[in-house]
Amino acid sequence: MSSAHDKPIDPNKVVLWSDDYEGHDPISTRTFGFWMYILSDGMLFATLFAAYGVLSYSHSYYTGPIPAQFVAPWYTFIQTMALFLSVLAYGFSMTALKTGSKAGVINGIIASMILGAVFIGLDIHDVLRMLSMGVTPEVSGGLSAFYALTQVHAAHIFVGMIWMLVMLYQVLRKGFTEDVVGRLISLRMFWQFQAVMWVFIYVFVYLWGYMS
Amino acid sequence: MLVNVPGPWSPLLGRLALSEIPYTNPILAPLFVVIVLAGLALIAAITYYGKWGYLWKEWLTTVDHKKLGVMYIILGLIMLFRGFIDGLMMRTQQMLGDGPGDNGLKVMGAIHGYLTPFHFGQIYSAHGLIMILLAATPLLVGIMNIIVPLQIGARDMAYPYLNALGLWITAAAVVLIMASLFVGDFSHNGWFGYAPIFEMAYSPGVGVDYWIWTLELVALGTTLGSINFLATVVKMRAPGMTWGRLPIFTWSAVSANIIALTSFPCLQVALALVGADRYLGTHFFTAGFGGNLMLYTNLFWLWGHPEVYFVILPAFGMISEIIPAFSEKPIFGYTAMVLATFAIAGVSWIVWLHHFFTMGMGPYVSTEFSVATMLVGIPTGVKVFNWTFTMYRGRLTYTSAMHWALGALFLLLVGGLTGMMLSIPAINYMVHNSVFVVAHFHMMLLCIVYAVFGAVIFWFPKVFGYKLNEYWGKMMFWLFSAGTVLVFLPMFMLGFMGETRRLDWPFNPHWATMFDIQEVGIAVYVLSVFAFLWMIYVSIRDRAQHRVGADAWGTSRSLEWLTDSPVPFYNYAMVPHVNARDEAAWRREHGFSEARPDHFKAIHMPNNTGVAILIGALTFVIGFALTWRIWWLTVAALIITVLVMIYRSGTGDPGYVISAEEMEKLDRDSRQKMPEDHIQHPHGDFTGGTVTAYSAGAADSLTQGTPPSRPQRLS
Amino acid sequence: MSHGHSNPIEHPEVQMASKGSYLTGFIVASLLMLAATILVSGKMLPSFALLLTIMGCAGLAVIAQVYFLLHIDISQHNIWNTVALVMFIPLFVITIGLTWWMFSQLYMRTMPMIPGMPGMH
Repeated sequence: MSSAHDKPIDPNKVVLWSDDYEGHDPISTRTFGFWMYILSDGMLFATLFAAYGVLSYSHSYYTGPIPAQFVAPWYTFIQTMALFLSVLAYGFSMTALKTGSKAGVINGIIASMILGAVFIGLDIHDVLRMLSMGVTPEVSGGLSAFYALTQVHAAHIFVGMIWMLVMLYQVLRKGFTEDVVGRLISLRMFWQFQAVMWVFIYVFVYLWGYMS
Repeated sequence: MLVNVPGPWSPLLGRLALSEIPYTNPILAPLFVVIVLAGLALIAAITYYGKWGYLWKEWLTTVDHKKLGVMYIILGLIMLFRGFIDGLMMRTQQMLGDGPGDNGLKVMGAIHGYLTPFHFGQIYSAHGLIMILLAATPLLVGIMNIIVPLQIGARDMAYPYLNALGLWITAAAVVLIMASLFVGDFSHNGWFGYAPIFEMAYSPGVGVDYWIWTLELVALGTTLGSINFLATVVKMRAPGMTWGRLPIFTWSAVSANIIALTSFPCLQVALALVGADRYLGTHFFTAGFGGNLMLYTNLFWLWGHPEVYFVILPAFGMISEIIPAFSEKPIFGYTAMVLATFAIAGVSWIVWLHHFFTMGMGPYVSTEFSVATMLVGIPTGVKVFNWTFTMYRGRLTYTSAMHWALGALFLLLVGGLTGMMLSIPAINYMVHNSVFVVAHFHMMLLCIVYAVFGAVIFWFPKVFGYKLNEYWGKMMFWLFSAGTVLVFLPMFMLGFMGETRRLDWPFNPHWATMFDIQEVGIAVYVLSVFAFLWMIYVSIRDRAQHRVGADAWGTSRSLEWLTDSPVPFYNYAMVPHVNARDEAAWRREHGFSEARPDHFKAIHMPNNTGVAILIGALTFVIGFALTWRIWWLTVAALIITVLVMIYRSGTGDPGYVISAEEMEKLDRDSRQKMPEDHIQHPHGDFTGGTVTAYSAGAADSLTQGTPPSRPQRLS
Repeated sequence: MSHGHSNPIEHPEVQMASKGSYLTGFIVASLLMLAATILVSGKMLPSFALLLTIMGCAGLAVIAQVYFLLHIDISQHNIWNTVALVMFIPLFVITIGLTWWMFSQLYMRTMPMIPGMPGMH
């Protein structure tokens, strides 16, 4: 079966225990695991999209309002830019990490947090506006799905901001240890992934909803 | 936003009230007393023997993958027993309640049998949920937890702390579902739930909420575990352990965990949306207001079907380890086996609609899902043939583990062929929701249970250092198999006769004989439970006679059989260098099975932590508080959980280092614990002429420096 | 074992961060979103063409982000991330696509015919 059986073996030369095995690379192991978590998070969004797809027919809105009546594309475009800029700021914090510049990393994260807060603020304002128009998740299945998708994303942004706060503290307190650097890379992937998900939400929920 | 609940609610206790405790129920109240007394006795015993410190240090705070695996298995066995008792109650209800008219025992207000329909509904819902998610899943995850790092030559999982977290969150789910017995009630709408019965209007109690949060916790724990397994296999393999040399069980663990990682989020979303309907008043799955009932069924089975393969694939992997070991041949068709595993995993994603063929989406969709379902038969057939060809002309040893593996093969055949029948929509329309379907999937799930028992017996000596009693293992096998035949053959027949599933009152008097036979089967199952307990007792009592060396069976094949039995906490004193597929067999063939490392290096190990069990406890509190709508407790527990996680992230785990000298001493001690003559070849006196390939005692050739003669092969 | 022996800053996954690539990803994605917003808010195309166009915008923006931001490529340090993503993408498509297909067929057969309902072709 395996060809290893067929070669004659010299017992003095065969390697049975690995002497030079240096163990795994902790940063790569951490970031790979976190990337898998992110992908499973992507599956969470995919399932919500599937639900949204089923619940975005005209009869799904029952007799209530449809997205075309309450979505404001340009308002949400500003949200989009806030999020993209926040991701860019975090990217710059990671380029500062290359040289080990604490100030660069911290400035980048703070900028990223502020822009994230702008995104959340705009989102809350938008939700309050819609609620005041009577567009609530209890009105119809379609609106339930609309809120689920957009607010689950907002919840991710909120969690990311708490994480940034923790990272600010850890960078200041502990410097760039292996754990901290691994977390900074994981957070980068998390944050960038939120921008990817937002592209789908913006185009398929907001823009498409506005169209139809 | 929040939905108003019917009945009383207070800010402090939510819906919780003394009246929610069913102390008047003649089944639950005595059970509760027994459990409290047993718990008190256990606590007294631990205190008396002064074992609290041991328990805390060695088990509750451990991050050792083997101990976590053992705890997973214990958890799974306890829940298997609980699920079995549920099954026993269902069988008894149908036996007693059969026939027209008023035939109840007049207890607890039952008109038929001895259970009210509401109580019966809770029992079958709990039975299904427990057996699939809280018995099968922990058992499989536990065995994977123990074996996968050993099979790839790693010291531990990639994230030992996350591993502990996964266990304790699963344990929280177990505690939550057990709490539903004594505080409030459990869901009564089937283990997978039906829209819109689980909506607030139709299920105003807390049962459905228990169900939601139990499932959410299990899903969370399993997702964390799957990330850990995949990262471990990808990043932590020993040098020389290439993908082509990965043992089949590890391959099946990889494929199963890919399924878990990708599918459990769907379950979390499906249940979260049910939660949104019940707590926030949304309309995802309501009958009116633009909701869609079938969307729930779709989202649930989107997870549910891959989940079925998540539990069956590791079972296939176990069979693939047991059969070669006791056939003394390498697995037949390694590559085909791996490809078949991944084919099953891939196809598992495009078949979920066959759980609701009757939805009414028309012939095109049905055709796709029907054909895809039939496709599963091809890789599964490949596997069955590979196992058969592994045994063909092998030197078979009928140990109890082998009995279970062969039994699993037979059940797979029955379950698989009935599955093929069900994959045809025309047949499916006829038997949909009948007990024929129930009997079919019990064949598949029992195939898993058989594989698990086989695996537990097979790997038990590796973990504990002594074998389980073979006689009682076989006795349990035959009793269990007799029970299976007696319960499920009548069930197949009843399905054809038109018995729908979940009948608390099977009215047809002609079915009475069948129900009686099933009840006899359950009684035989009870005997097998006693045989199991007796097997454990006898094995522990006689453990001194059954101590084993590294290669416990004398014919084992994969890497885990190189290290000592019981496995020391560091797994391998020196990380092995892998030279072949089936490394243990390769070393035995070439006379290296006695070889031990002659020098050592310092190693780095993770510290124990109490954080994991604390977070597990907090997730239970969150689940319980959400179930009873105690908002302050939910928020408080959530905030504390986040703070604990941040605290843990701040402290991290520097681990500790064991020096090379210490390693040498540990290795010597570990070796001394094993019996001297540790290769126990089952065919020691076999003189058929072709034995050299696997005979012991070739260690001499290592000291003499001459290569052993090239082994003759059997096939 | 090699825990913490080398400077974590030197780790290849830190060193692969690049200002130019992050900036490119940002600009490409922003421009595509801007284009999609302009087209939709002005309703500049017929409905179906508009849908296809914004789908294209979304697809390109996501590819740009995944490539320039998330470093998904076949270099030695990212290959496993890429493998994992490639494994997931068909499942995303299956989850959403088959669900939509199944329910559009269901609605066609079970829902009252409301004018303008998708799936009514």
